[in-house]
Amino acid sequence: MAQAGDKRRPKGQSGAANAKRSASAGGAQPARQPSGKKPPAANTAGKTSGSRPAGRQSVAAARKSTGGSNRTQLIIGGIAVLVIGAIIVFGLVLNKQQTAVQAEGYGASTQSVATESNGIVSVSKSGAAPRVTLDIYEDALCPICAEFERQYGQQINQAIDDGSLAVNYHMLNFLNKSSFSGDYSSRAAAALLCVAQQSGAQPGVYLAFHSALFSSDHQPEEGGSSDLTNEELGKLATLSGASAAAAQCASSGQNVAAAEASATASSATLSAATGGQVATPTVVKDGKPVSLSVNWLGELLGQA
Amino acid sequence: MRTVTRSDRVRDVVGLIARVGLASVWLTSGILKAADPRQTLVAVRGYRILSESLVSVVAAALPYLEIALGVLLLIGLATRLAAVLSAIVLVAFIAGVISAAARGLSIDCGCFGGGGDVGVGQTAYTTEILRDVGFLLLASYLIVRSDTPLSVDRLVRRRVEEPA
Repeated sequence: MAQAGDKRRPKGQSGAANAKRSASAGGAQPARQPSGKKPPAANTAGKTSGSRPAGRQSVAAARKSTGGSNRTQLIIGGIAVLVIGAIIVFGLVLNKQQTAVQAEGYGASTQSVATESNGIVSVSKSGAAPRVTLDIYEDALCPICAEFERQYGQQINQAIDDGSLAVNYHMLNFLNKSSFSGDYSSRAAAALLCVAQQSGAQPGVYLAFHSALFSSDHQPEEGGSSDLTNEELGKLATLSGASAAAAQCASSGQNVAAAEASATASSATLSAATGGQVATPTVVKDGKPVSLSVNWLGELLGQA
Repeated sequence: MRTVTRSDRVRDVVGLIARVGLASVWLTSGILKAADPRQTLVAVRGYRILSESLVSVVAAALPYLEIALGVLLLIGLATRLAAVLSAIVLVAFIAGVISAAARGLSIDCGCFGGGGDVGVGQTAYTTEILRDVGFLLLASYLIVRSDTPLSVDRLVRRRVEEPA
């Protein structure tokens, strides 16, 4: 008899079916209510048929969970948005610190002199014995180099001026093809050689011209619609304090071949130092690339 | 009574892997970018898409947006929301890389730190796009199935459904 009765009951696993089964099994077992949500007292509100209170329980339970979860979802979402906002605000503050101009307000170099050898320009304070010597690899068209100059240019000026730093500038030219004229990097490097050769002994002139080339006022854009002609490079050199001979040298473009040879050689040296990566700007000290944390220069100067 | 079927368990495992996987992508990418703000700035600028003022804001905020998404996904808080935001950011990245490739720009995408100008033979646009599409698939899975095990979401849901 019991077996026949069992077969008639639905075989589904839904809570309502279970509720029906255990409810009709007898009020003697109230503890067997499946969801356990409603105390047995709730049954008294129901009809005589065992399925009604169980069905009401399930619906009520479902309604409660949906209603509760909508509000919960909103709260969760709100917390998530707050977390995102807080992390971003924190990040913006931190970022401002990390990209701040170092030694801001120091301005241009007043003591540095430049000498050139094999296309590499060495800049230091005349008569000083700097503790730290760096090889800086740049490309005149490279925007990261401009960003590097913006952030560290004045600090470098200051360190050279007080005799603690010497820099060897290696101008590469792999960005030539990205320039409007097709050879801007080479020509700018040539102009820098001219200034180093003809006006290197005049304090601060080379660095002034170097900074000017990377400033947002003068540096051409990659893939841009114009860049500086040799004459414009010459004019910029004059503006930076270079002699007429230096400006003439730049306008004539006479050092371009030497600049290109030097760029090729420096590119090979850089590749050797970094294990194959030719990217600018790269700062190399004692043959190893320097990791450019925010205060890399301060740390190097402090350690030496 | 909740019955757990085998397909539920499979979905749980897949969901957990997708969530933690995407979280680790964001955390790695975000932390690397945050560690080198100058390169990130130039990487964003290198795409030549945004105006200069937007470039500095995006470059400053992007690493931390990635970290935030990584954190949310790691703990499984607001998983669907985090997955939707992840998908939006990934679509933007993919569009940016495609745009750069189409214009013949020669840049490192700067995706995991690095970024800026590299020699011509060193760009890898196709790999980068495929990788981002892969991450986009993870995010899409999580949008559809945002309930994953070992998550704050599930913890809260169970709390809400338990008897008072």
